[in-house]
Amino acid sequence: MLTRTEGIVLKNQKHGEADLIVTYLTPDRGIIKAFAKSPHKIKSRFGSSLEPLTHSRISLFGKEQSIPKITQSDIINTFYRLRESYDDLINISRLIRVMLSIIPEDTPNKRLFNFFLGILNLMDSSTGDQRHILYLIALIRLLAMTGYAPRLNKCGRCGKKGINFYPGAGTILCDGCAGGQEIKGPPVRVNGDIINFYSHSIEWPVQKLTRLRPRKELLSTLSSIMERHLSQNLGIRP
Amino acid sequence: MHKGVIENLINELTRLPGIGRKTAQRLAFFIMAMPKEEAISIAEAIRELKERARFCRECFSITEDDLCSICSDPKRDHTRICVVEEPSNLIVIERTGIYRGLYHVLLGALSPVDGITPESLKIRELIERVKRGNISEVIIATNPNTKGEATAQYISEQLKPMGVRITRIAYGLPIGGDIEFADEVTLTKALEGRREL
Repeated sequence: MLTRTEGIVLKNQKHGEADLIVTYLTPDRGIIKAFAKSPHKIKSRFGSSLEPLTHSRISLFGKEQSIPKITQSDIINTFYRLRESYDDLINISRLIRVMLSIIPEDTPNKRLFNFFLGILNLMDSSTGDQRHILYLIALIRLLAMTGYAPRLNKCGRCGKKGINFYPGAGTILCDGCAGGQEIKGPPVRVNGDIINFYSHSIEWPVQKLTRLRPRKELLSTLSSIMERHLSQNLGIRP
Repeated sequence: MHKGVIENLINELTRLPGIGRKTAQRLAFFIMAMPKEEAISIAEAIRELKERARFCRECFSITEDDLCSICSDPKRDHTRICVVEEPSNLIVIERTGIYRGLYHVLLGALSPVDGITPESLKIRELIERVKRGNISEVIIATNPNTKGEATAQYISEQLKPMGVRITRIAYGLPIGGDIEFADEVTLTKALEGRREL
């Protein structure tokens, strides 16, 4: 059966001598794997269209239960500038690793596709510092969209106000709830600016996200919260 | 009994890249029909390879001795190092016959999404070589894809402070190709890397 869709390449993996297994994020089927025959050969018609982050129109051929074969791939946007910057590649790869760890394959999610495409477009047109902020926003938003985001606005157990985020619990805990319980690691103090930036990252439309300009200290505290949350609660190490 | 040994060989051959069950079956019956000495000589060659082949202490290409034939050749240009991902890449560059310097095999390429970090590759050893030796140029010949580019950029950032000349092999259109079928990244790179005639 021949199907046509569009997709963003999340990763590619060598298969055998010259073939590739490409992992795409698509709007209508979610994360899928597809097979490309000899794309690395000099005269391959695929060119650079199977490289990570490439957004392309693809045609897939195969039975429903097996990995389909990519028969055509036409580039819509290469995002090659993001791939060529080592720092950006590290950040976006982390985002992709999180995506691949928490989102099951073959689950349609048009919202996720539009969000990821939007973030790539924003990053592509932004400067280095802005891209770093966008990466953090994208990570927060991805976790919020999938239900894995840490809770920073109130105590995750009783709903009261609190200022200490406990990475082991994945939430802020008020003094009453934190006392006497075994929680891995010391808490991180969260202030109003962090909470505002965090909720704007989740709620604002993607096109407006470049308006968020946090201070360096805020960025570093929130990055540390997110990293500790990822490694302690989701088992995703840096 | 006969079915067992043939089946066993077929199963073993299917472990090789590019060999499916049908090809393995064909090869197994071909080996069966071969003179005994020839078949044993293939088996011996594989055994010898596994027993004697190892990585060169300097460049990590495959050798039987401590140093490979390129690293120990005094006629080679010992001031240039060409960095490649795999030993098979070295063989292809050697086939051109125009490069007379040394090599450094990384044994892979950086892939942050797969968790392949600089520590998993022979990058620290390359930096040590450049620090130690009288190296004037490092040619980065990793593959022109995302992993190869990330590796090239990382190595270049690490080596730049040492004052060594760092170059990257050229990008562009393949000989015998057609501009019409080239994708935009390849064409952009070909235009950026154009040269005076």
